[in-house]
Amino acid sequence: MKLTKHIFMLLVLLTAISCDNVLDKQPLDKLQGENLFSNPEGVKLYMANLYYQLPIEDFTFFRQGFNWNTGDPNNGGFAPAMITDEAVHTEFGDFIGNDDFQWWDQGYKLIRDTNILIDIIPTLDVSEDETKALVGESAFIRAYAYFALVKRYGGVPLITAVQKYEGDVEALKVPRSTEKETWDFVLKECDIAIANLADSWPGGERRATKWVAYALKSRAALHAASLAKYGDRAPISGTAVDQKLVGLEKSAAAEYYKAAIEASEAIISSGKFALYKPSPASPEEAAENYRKLFEDPNIAPTEAIFIKGYARPGSGTGHNYGIWFQPNQTANGWPHPGRMNPTLDLIDAYESYTNPGQSAPVTTTVAGNDVSDYNGFDPAKNYKRYDDPAGIYKDKDARLWATAILPGTAWKGQKIIIQAGFIKPDGSAQLFGGEPIKVGSATIYPYGAADRTQYSGFDTWGGNNTRTGVSFKKFLNEGVNVAPGWNQTVSDWADFRYAEILLNYAEAIVESGTGTATKGAQALNDIRRRAGHTKDIPLTIDNVIRERRVELAFENKRFWDLIRRREYHTLFNNRVRHALVPVLDLRVTPAKYIFIRQNIARLNPATFDYKNYYRYVPGIGANGLVQNPQY
Amino acid sequence: MKSPIYVSALALMLFAAGCKIDNYPAPDAQLYGTFLDAETNEPVEQDIIRGSTIEYIEHGYASQTKQVMLVKNDGTYRNNLIFANQYTITPVRGNFVPTEPQEVTVAGETQLDFKVQPYIRLKDAKIEKSGSKVIATFKIQQTVINNVRKIGLYAHPEPSVGEPMRTVLSETEINGATDPNKVYKLEIDIPSNSNNLKTGNQYFFRVGAIIDAPESKFNYAKAVRIAL
Repeated sequence: MKLTKHIFMLLVLLTAISCDNVLDKQPLDKLQGENLFSNPEGVKLYMANLYYQLPIEDFTFFRQGFNWNTGDPNNGGFAPAMITDEAVHTEFGDFIGNDDFQWWDQGYKLIRDTNILIDIIPTLDVSEDETKALVGESAFIRAYAYFALVKRYGGVPLITAVQKYEGDVEALKVPRSTEKETWDFVLKECDIAIANLADSWPGGERRATKWVAYALKSRAALHAASLAKYGDRAPISGTAVDQKLVGLEKSAAAEYYKAAIEASEAIISSGKFALYKPSPASPEEAAENYRKLFEDPNIAPTEAIFIKGYARPGSGTGHNYGIWFQPNQTANGWPHPGRMNPTLDLIDAYESYTNPGQSAPVTTTVAGNDVSDYNGFDPAKNYKRYDDPAGIYKDKDARLWATAILPGTAWKGQKIIIQAGFIKPDGSAQLFGGEPIKVGSATIYPYGAADRTQYSGFDTWGGNNTRTGVSFKKFLNEGVNVAPGWNQTVSDWADFRYAEILLNYAEAIVESGTGTATKGAQALNDIRRRAGHTKDIPLTIDNVIRERRVELAFENKRFWDLIRRREYHTLFNNRVRHALVPVLDLRVTPAKYIFIRQNIARLNPATFDYKNYYRYVPGIGANGLVQNPQY
Repeated sequence: MKSPIYVSALALMLFAAGCKIDNYPAPDAQLYGTFLDAETNEPVEQDIIRGSTIEYIEHGYASQTKQVMLVKNDGTYRNNLIFANQYTITPVRGNFVPTEPQEVTVAGETQLDFKVQPYIRLKDAKIEKSGSKVIATFKIQQTVINNVRKIGLYAHPEPSVGEPMRTVLSETEINGATDPNKVYKLEIDIPSNSNNLKTGNQYFFRVGAIIDAPESKFNYAKAVRIAL
């Protein structure tokens, strides 16, 4: 009897326990899918995460990847510009490596997250307008993601719906599409976005609009067109080439140029956009306008088509341009400033107002015929002498003055001193260090001042001072003394701006020989006029490329321009980049400045290999994909 | 009393199993050889960086992963740590007319020379210092109808000097067919390269030419050492 009772009790107990679905419990700290998507606010939240993952090449984009401002964001201040002819790092001389600029796992994660949303949109209980906007936005995000993939890897697996694991791994493996199919997919997704997105968002949210999608299409189509036109400048072979997974036919160039022209034209003729302050009264005003545009792109709502914002100082919500790239004198306590050094090669590209339409290499001697002599100081030469160390840059394009801090110019209320040494009264040179000397009653210091905190050039201490002769300015905020810590800079980034669209337009017209040449020339000259030029120049490819180099400098465009036009291996073939070194000449009284064009000290020559035109596909052992050539 | 036996048996089993996994033989074969001009039987000079490469695939694996060997300046190559096995070996992206893949058995000391047809032969090359200049003269014999893209004289402190490895260069664009009897002349001015060519030091000079073919590499004459 007693036993029966016990068994009964046990049964009751077991039943009770089994009813309590321990294993079916929902986590309390996470939002469930159906709850998230049933609520418009939830969709907004989800969307914010997708935008965060967008591969925007902004202040937090480095060769290690995107959003490099969380966890430990210490990358030594190495920026993508330093892989190009725009700049070098103060301390390090590395060039491109195999693992640089990879974006595979993160790319497919974003695509999966977007596909989840795309699958769910039809089931959402929202208005037709909102559905349309969601369709447009998700197509835009997918286009953006696949554009980032195809420009790195060539053709990639096109995954357009959420994959489900049902016990068979093989079923999940999708082979690479051809490069042509992948580019066409990107442009098609842009078209879907254009057709579904509205002109603007009611609250001015920084989300994709019809125009942002057009801008993406303009950029992507131009990239594809250049690949098709110039692919044979760097022929490669291998399985991936045989299967057309990398490479485009020359004949495809025409359709892509056409797409780039049409997308750019849609933006130009919409009447909604304009250059910020398009007709300055003087080069000085032009320089100030251009500087302000990057200090805060929000002041130019008609020029900045798409902005990525940085809201609060702190992890993940700020960036580090402010600390890494200040000149040493305004470091404000940060131990390693001044790490972006614009090269003489870039400086030379800027025009002079006295001879428009030509790059104006800086001439340092009276003869002026020695711009390719990089052998250092030569006592036999008749150097031009300047009272003002920025005097040598007189008449150079306003954008140079707004992009780089030139020696002797003011920044944050200080005169920035950049000096590499002196020529002694006896004519011998003392450069890059050494003891100060007495001239009369004055003590002359090699780097221009007695104390390390009072100059910004050439002293290698701390890896802090520029070794090219100028410091970096574009994007830095003159009014803010940035706190010496991680992610304290909160300036915003203009991902697409109107000037780029004008340049895409001009390039597509001149490269394809189609479209309206006069409109292309106008696009080019409008940008120049904004920079203080008064004379129009003809539409030629050289003029467009020079204009891109100076107008879009440090906007992380140069790397891709050299890739898409297949110019990297020609430009970086044992390439040594150059400096313009200011030196105090004590042979005359009062002392004046002279300048030496020379190789950047302590920097190895850089060579770009053909295979670097594509990144390697990671994980081919598991995903079974065909590897890119020569990896 | 029984459990210690079990434990030691288990330990022995784990030990035995643990040993097994890594019991593959080490790579114990060597593969070496030279790229030889099929006509003159002379070694074909190469670039040390961005020169010809040898791709090889080891048989017996599904992955067909390509491995690569680089070729030295003098046209020789050597791999002293290769597994004895069957291989498919193809020299690729070279300065010679492309060749077919070969099936090769590698075992012990295996010599494999490649007889190739270099795109260009640089004949009668002479590089001499004359006054404040280094002057190179040579003739060009091209073995294919493609255009010769450019010729160059390259200088570097190391003997592996070449187009991608130089501190000073003097190049001339040709972009056309060359006349085998013409003597080409290139010169480097020493004083105007004082940063890289210092009087009293020794440097290596080498002349080269490149054909206009996809992925082609430079052809060279031998490097010459000159004291300035």
